[in-house]
Amino acid sequence: MSGPSPKSHLYRLGIILVVGFVAFSVFMAIAVPANWNYQGWYRLDALEELKEPPLVYGGNESCAACHDAIINEVKKFKHRALSCESCHGPLAHHVKGKQKIADAYIDDKGRWQCLNCHKKLVSKSLEFPVFSRERPREHTSIKPGTPCKSCHKPHHPTP
Amino acid sequence: MPKSHEERESIEPAADSRREFLIHLLTGTASATVLLVYGAGAFSGAQARQEGYSEHARDGEPDHDYAYVVDVAKCIGCGNCVRACKLENSVPDKLFRTWVERYVLTNVGIHIDSPDGAIKGFEELNAEIRNNSRRSHTVPKMCNHCRTPPCVQVCPVGATFQSPEGFVLIDYNHCIGCGYCVQACPYGARFINPDKHMADKCTWCYHRVKRGKLPACVTVCPTRTRLFGDLNDPESEVAKIFDADKWMILRPEMDTEPFCFYVGLPREAR
Repeated sequence: MSGPSPKSHLYRLGIILVVGFVAFSVFMAIAVPANWNYQGWYRLDALEELKEPPLVYGGNESCAACHDAIINEVKKFKHRALSCESCHGPLAHHVKGKQKIADAYIDDKGRWQCLNCHKKLVSKSLEFPVFSRERPREHTSIKPGTPCKSCHKPHHPTP
Repeated sequence: MPKSHEERESIEPAADSRREFLIHLLTGTASATVLLVYGAGAFSGAQARQEGYSEHARDGEPDHDYAYVVDVAKCIGCGNCVRACKLENSVPDKLFRTWVERYVLTNVGIHIDSPDGAIKGFEELNAEIRNNSRRSHTVPKMCNHCRTPPCVQVCPVGATFQSPEGFVLIDYNHCIGCGYCVQACPYGARFINPDKHMADKCTWCYHRVKRGKLPACVTVCPTRTRLFGDLNDPESEVAKIFDADKWMILRPEMDTEPFCFYVGLPREAR
């Protein structure tokens, strides 16, 4: 007796399942990145890649490699806790490898570097030394806009 | 009116199941209370670290367990950290991986501002706010590197993840820039980087820490407001602050278990 097999609907279902499984496996093989960490659910290579960006700030210890004397000098004064790079600019803008590529940044005329910290703000604790035009009396007589540097030495500041 | 013997017989099984039900209810309530109290207890007290501030274990047995401490009282709002972060991580203009917020509690309300993320520090406020000020703080903010990070949970491709040492990081070769994580973060620490078309945020300067340096913001902070260190090293400053148990976290109600600990956080800071 000819005609479709009575189990043909089951064969069809089986074929669909097999094809579906193969398609899913192929898709997963393409979509899931290599070296996938199934426990932490991330690409393990990412940890290595994220270590790559170059350092821009070196910290005072890298400045000390060349400017040991100045750093030891500053250590005796109130600005000892400051990072050199917060005023002079980052290390990566100054040296590359062991070669100096540019002068360390110093703003000779500006006062903003001083005022960033020593501006008067309500949020500052009262012990923190802040700049005021009225006090001390010497400030009342100076011309507005005079660089702080002309009287105060940034490396060893005195009131 | 007392019930007849027959009537009592008939309700006996029902009474039994009611007793059972009540016993189950009681044991259930008791165990739930124990669990809740125990769970809450894990967050208080100096023994938190032994018991685990987090019950969510990370994979592997990491040597380091990094944490960040911000001492709000020491912050002078100079913005050195914001500038350093910009240069260190080449963060695009008007977007910030770390920023500083100023909170001024006055008689009439709270004034909150962060002009340009405080990249140039703050300007003094107008006299009206200044004279009404009752207390004022500058509060540095950044990614809190939560132990149960909502951003990791929502990432559809597994591009943002938690490293074994507690850094919450973004895989820049895998992120599709959908922005789900930006919305999920309760701290507003994430943004879409317009140059890379990907999510971006503070990494605690992973590339620096792995080379034995401190994060850039910690390096330049003039008042040691920002501290970074290893909780597994009992001599480190962050471990001492953690053990002293005087720290607070931002948005504790979100249950994200952040590892940025704030000391002296004002109530109004969110």
